[in-house]
Amino acid sequence: MPFPDVKLANRPLHFLYLCDCSGSMAASGKMQALNQAIRQSLPGMAAVARDNPEARVLVRAVRFADHAAWHIETPTPVDQLEWRDLQAGGITAMGEALKLVAAALQTPPMEVRALPPVLVLISDGQPTDDFAAGLEALLRVPWAQKAVRLAIALGHDADLEVLQRFIGIEPATAGRSPRRPLQASNATSLAQYIQWASTAVVGAASMPASRVSETPLEPAAGNIPLPDLPPTVLDPTDDVGPLVW
Amino acid sequence: MSWILPEGASLEFEGLAAPLRIIRGLGGGTQGQVYEVELEGERLALKWYLPACIARDGGLERRLVASIRATAPNEDFLWPIALLRASPASRPLIRIRQESFGYLMPLRPPAYVGACEHASGRLAIGLRQVLRACFGLADAFHALHLAGLCYKDVSLGNLFLEPGSGSILICDNDNVAVDGADHGAVLGTPGFMAPEVLLGQARPGADSDLFSLAVLLFRLLTRHDPLKGQMELAIRCLDEPARRRLCGEDPVFIFDPVDDRNRPDPIEHAAALITWPIYPRPLQALFEQTFCRGMKQPSRRALTGQWKQELARTLDRRTLCLACGQENFQASGAPALCWSCGAPLPEPITLLLAHGSVVAAPDNELHAHHFDALAGEDLRRPLARVVAHPQDPRRLGLRNLQAAAWSAETHDGRSQPVQPGESCSLAALARIQSPAGPIAVQRPTRPSPAT
Repeated sequence: MPFPDVKLANRPLHFLYLCDCSGSMAASGKMQALNQAIRQSLPGMAAVARDNPEARVLVRAVRFADHAAWHIETPTPVDQLEWRDLQAGGITAMGEALKLVAAALQTPPMEVRALPPVLVLISDGQPTDDFAAGLEALLRVPWAQKAVRLAIALGHDADLEVLQRFIGIEPATAGRSPRRPLQASNATSLAQYIQWASTAVVGAASMPASRVSETPLEPAAGNIPLPDLPPTVLDPTDDVGPLVW
Repeated sequence: MSWILPEGASLEFEGLAAPLRIIRGLGGGTQGQVYEVELEGERLALKWYLPACIARDGGLERRLVASIRATAPNEDFLWPIALLRASPASRPLIRIRQESFGYLMPLRPPAYVGACEHASGRLAIGLRQVLRACFGLADAFHALHLAGLCYKDVSLGNLFLEPGSGSILICDNDNVAVDGADHGAVLGTPGFMAPEVLLGQARPGADSDLFSLAVLLFRLLTRHDPLKGQMELAIRCLDEPARRRLCGEDPVFIFDPVDDRNRPDPIEHAAALITWPIYPRPLQALFEQTFCRGMKQPSRRALTGQWKQELARTLDRRTLCLACGQENFQASGAPALCWSCGAPLPEPITLLLAHGSVVAAPDNELHAHHFDALAGEDLRRPLARVVAHPQDPRRLGLRNLQAAAWSAETHDGRSQPVQPGESCSLAALARIQSPAGPIAVQRPTRPSPAT
């Protein structure tokens, strides 16, 4: 006879992409690379979601150019997600994007109980609006304070200082260097970082993985210990490395 | 996934006489990547470590070498077979600059699925199979602990189940070490870690394994977490500091008979409330022992041998509800009601053995430990199985799974041989003489409520 059909208690895990769609993203195929990286990462993300029954992984995305707008507004289970391509064009309303996310992380519409949200900001340039006001609005929201905030700098023109303020300034802890924006200088490393954020980080935020003694047991600044970044795997097809943007 | 080892290529490794063909990547995590490989026609699995993992865990290679030399405690472990380093000729084919190594292990057959499939309710599996898997788990850890070893990282992610039989496989055996001897890097998986390990007061060892084992057994049997009750509902954001409070600083078992602060919520935690009453009192008592007194006193936790004994006895008590067919495991004696439909359960035929008794219900089995007090509980080699008559399922028989004939004795003193593979009807028999020992057939003292 079958095991009783009982529902496992779970909590939502909100995963939000904040994607820079300014005109500069059209150069050197960056927009296409980002669309590809996110699309390619979805099966792995769905597998992690399957393996973490205590989490209900829900994905949303904001695009920002002249204005910020929802690209995916409804929190969507990852296995039902279809990634429509983002289009580049306009300036960089990053502050507005942060305000949009801040409103979404208020309770309601956020659930009373959840896992720490994961926010991934991807940008190749400098905000053209009031970034500080947007960040302030975001960090006033308790769920944003609890969120795992990651930033990926695309190419060499990204404003690392702004991205660092988004993820938070964290003092160096014993054995661990402070967190920095991830710098993707080519499509391969972008894909690796997106994959890392959507699998390893989602796993860490939903159901904790094995701990090793190096992991600080006393949680320091972050409320979720971040997994190791992916190793640099040499590109098998091209030993000189892919083209630099 | 970016694979470190080239799929389809043949690589040479030091110490291997033949080249190893990398068939395909199976998966990867923060520790390393696992591949299906072929060595001289045999399919095996290869785990290849990331350099960061090797750098963090100085004892890894030493532990692996010791495990390979010691060999697996029993066949339920996907145990390391050989440590592999690439030969100088194959070194350039590995797509990572830093020096690294891996180990060979048996390949998991496709019928085995991750235990989280059951925990998340996606697996079609019966209660008997879940209990057998729990027994297999306790049995595997019993063998491991008796060998003086400890596992250190018991969790749902390291267990695989075969839903048809309840057989198990335990993977990720690379943290196994002699208990108390090797300070490896791993601390365990939060949610499964013993409170003293989570709080940094102790290193993982056999005692903390017993806590983690009980958590895993509880999760398999109830599809719920033993510490997630009202106190978890009071937490808005379940992050690291919250988990530390819930599982380390103030852990309270949801069914603690004395401390009721963390009772399950009727809606959010329905799984625990529905499944817990299915299990007989002595099995529940082992969870209370581990999660109440044993929470803060590691030496008081239920031992692997106790789990084996109680899980085997629970399977021996298995009976089927005549009304709904669901499996029940209540202790014999007092009249009981089916946990699923509420119908009264009939008093069953019971097989009395030198060392225990087994309820006659289809698929229940007799084993050597039922006849020999010195034999440890072992479900691998049944000596007899209760079977339903093919034409009339209400008529139960006992099939001879031994190599020699039995002698079945009726109430009027006649006897008849039962050859290996044959079954004899329990309705007509008083006792059976088997090479393992006598089997007495005890009929109900009161009439069945269904007739």
